[in-house]
Amino acid sequence: MTDRILTTHVGALQRPPEAEAALLGEAPPEALADAVAGVVRKQVEAGIDVVNDGEFGKSIWQWYVTERLGGIERAEHARPPLRGRDRLAFPAFYAYAQETPDVLFHGSDRAFWAAIASRPVCVGPIVYEPAAVQRDIANLKAAVEGVEVADVFMPAVAPASAEVDMGNEHYATQEELLWALADALAEEYRLIVEAGFLLQVDDAWIPALWDHDPGLDVETYRAYCRARVEALNHALAGIPEEGVRYHLCWGSWHGPHATDIPLAEIVDLMLSVNAGTYLVEAANVRHEHEYHLWESVRLPDGKKLAPGVVSHSTNLIEHPELVAERIVRFAERVGRENVLASTDCGMGSRIHPELGWAKLATLAEGARIATGRLWRAG
Amino acid sequence: MDRVLATHVGSLVRPQPVRELRAAITRGEEVDEAAYEQALADAVAEVVRMQAEAGIDVVDDGEMSKDSWITYLYERVRGIEQRLVPLDGMDLLPPSRDRQAFPEFYAEHDAELARAMENRVRVGGGDAEAPTAEAKLWFCTGPVEYDGSAVERDIARLRTALAGVEVEDAFLPVVAPASVYWLRNEHYASEEELVFALADALHDEYAAIVEAGFLLQVDDAVLMHEYDSILSLGGSVEDYRRWAKLRVEALNHALAGIPEERVRYHVCFGSWHGPHAYDPPLADVVDLILEVNARFYLIEQANPRHEHEWRLWETVALPEGKVLVPGVVTHHTNVVEHPELVAERLVRLAGLVGRERVMAGTDCGFAQASPVQRVHPSIQWAKLEALAEGARIATRQLWGRTAA
Repeated sequence: MTDRILTTHVGALQRPPEAEAALLGEAPPEALADAVAGVVRKQVEAGIDVVNDGEFGKSIWQWYVTERLGGIERAEHARPPLRGRDRLAFPAFYAYAQETPDVLFHGSDRAFWAAIASRPVCVGPIVYEPAAVQRDIANLKAAVEGVEVADVFMPAVAPASAEVDMGNEHYATQEELLWALADALAEEYRLIVEAGFLLQVDDAWIPALWDHDPGLDVETYRAYCRARVEALNHALAGIPEEGVRYHLCWGSWHGPHATDIPLAEIVDLMLSVNAGTYLVEAANVRHEHEYHLWESVRLPDGKKLAPGVVSHSTNLIEHPELVAERIVRFAERVGRENVLASTDCGMGSRIHPELGWAKLATLAEGARIATGRLWRAG
Repeated sequence: MDRVLATHVGSLVRPQPVRELRAAITRGEEVDEAAYEQALADAVAEVVRMQAEAGIDVVDDGEMSKDSWITYLYERVRGIEQRLVPLDGMDLLPPSRDRQAFPEFYAEHDAELARAMENRVRVGGGDAEAPTAEAKLWFCTGPVEYDGSAVERDIARLRTALAGVEVEDAFLPVVAPASVYWLRNEHYASEEELVFALADALHDEYAAIVEAGFLLQVDDAVLMHEYDSILSLGGSVEDYRRWAKLRVEALNHALAGIPEERVRYHVCFGSWHGPHAYDPPLADVVDLILEVNARFYLIEQANPRHEHEWRLWETVALPEGKVLVPGVVTHHTNVVEHPELVAERLVRLAGLVGRERVMAGTDCGFAQASPVQRVHPSIQWAKLEALAEGARIATRQLWGRTAA
């Protein structure tokens, strides 16, 4: 039983140029391993308890997996990949963002941008190829050796989030594609868990799909999501729940997000995923007030919540007192032993790395303050 | 007042015609005065109407006529001249421990700023080789003396614009003596003499605004961020407080004879999108702020560096008759505040100082200078709407009924 607030984050950290080069085959693979060792050290120095590899081995959080699958080719986007309700509500802003660098994202990581310059299309049976995750696992294992951390996690994408905007020329139905993705991802999940890491399943597209498809009404949208959660639980079959973290966010681009669907509309879907810990945005100004939801929604026994208490959506470094205040109000609602302090989303390709690291340090400092307040009496 | 009123800090993103004409003036080009005046009148009419439509109760002219919230003054005062000086690596932004702690971030930030300013020189087909405005500095070379013609035009434009809308009140922002920045003294025997001479000049502007029937808003970001500057240069907190006290005294001198209930005082920690990790805690400077003879205090409280400071009012007593106008939406993120968050921020502060003593404001302006936009204008307006909506929710919660 833990007697303090543990710290973690959502996963993506800024990839150094050497790692970017290694990922693109322009530098030896050792450069990637070295970068992972470095990023683990930096997390520990920042005071992060549950660390990862910064996702340095992945081009981008959702479609990296399509680079690990047989049966996939790349093609032009069928529809503009960036679209949705927010764009319809703020056309002038998005037009401006289109022509101005570093508005919606930060930095120029080529692996990241190449991965979304075109789209994956399924042209044959999906077959999972484990070499890349085995490399990532080996790099992370080596990196955490001799380092003192509370635990280690490795992110992987959820079937639903890999599926969005992917082409299908092979399977008879969209559902078949979804379940084939789930079967493939089940292999990745198992390898991560067998390596002794916590598995983190990233599923930003579940909340963000509401924005992405303005034609959806809430019921149709929820029915669509329910089928995706079912496929995810299929992929998670046999994996102990306490070894699984599930991350939701509303898309990490620096837009107004004024049309985000409220957490209240999807919290039941989130809780129906067979995970032990839920990581969800709570530090940005669109979702900060949603901690009140936990006054009426019960976090099931044995589950933990890892709300964002610092955000990539502003350059300002959260004051540790604000971080502590955010942690304490969650602890008051779901119990202090059920709260981890985390980030809204990944920092990599979202914010200048100096600021990303300062935010992780303030997160840790805020967690220490919160621990003092929450355990002082007990 | 039986509801939470909505206002903001002042500057709004300039419409394109104003931006272009103003940039030409700054470049020293000939500009048709009538065309410029018309562009300003149109812009003020538009932003006043849009504020009213967004649900803002206490509106202003968006600072349309000002090149920047600081340097506008230099165009209204005799005894100050602009001279081209090499920048010599001098930073436009003040020195700070923030810059020392985040050198790579600020290098990138400054490069973006330089690009934005370079674009500005090109606006309207100007000569890209022309020296940038930022290579010019202001020098006080003679006795400062205020020329009221520009503020009279501001007053007239705002008055005209207000004729067509229904709002509670209107304000005009001005600069405080402490925030008279980028000005080098070549005339007065001491810094103190210059500061008080500026205060005397500013008094004329302040008085003209209040006599016109508007609320006066005095902007004083420099009073806050000079703390980090002085400490970054090796000074002490005491050095800072000595520097600040003189300027607060000068401000009260400039405000002499102006009824306190018509004065709003705005401080912030600098509106650039930096980490702000070395901003002074409000607790260290709040006594200086409260010394200013104003009724309304507009203070940042909607960004994650200062949001927690609402709790300061658990221990610091807000003097009788004063009103807090916390930032409840911020220019520091593109994400539009949820109205429920806005309401929560207002209600918790009202719980400490009383519901009649809270108004909803912004952290800072949205365009501190004509070429600047802290967020895209469409996001600026969405934030003001969220602010007004949040104030309505807070009113319902605090008064237990729907606002009239």
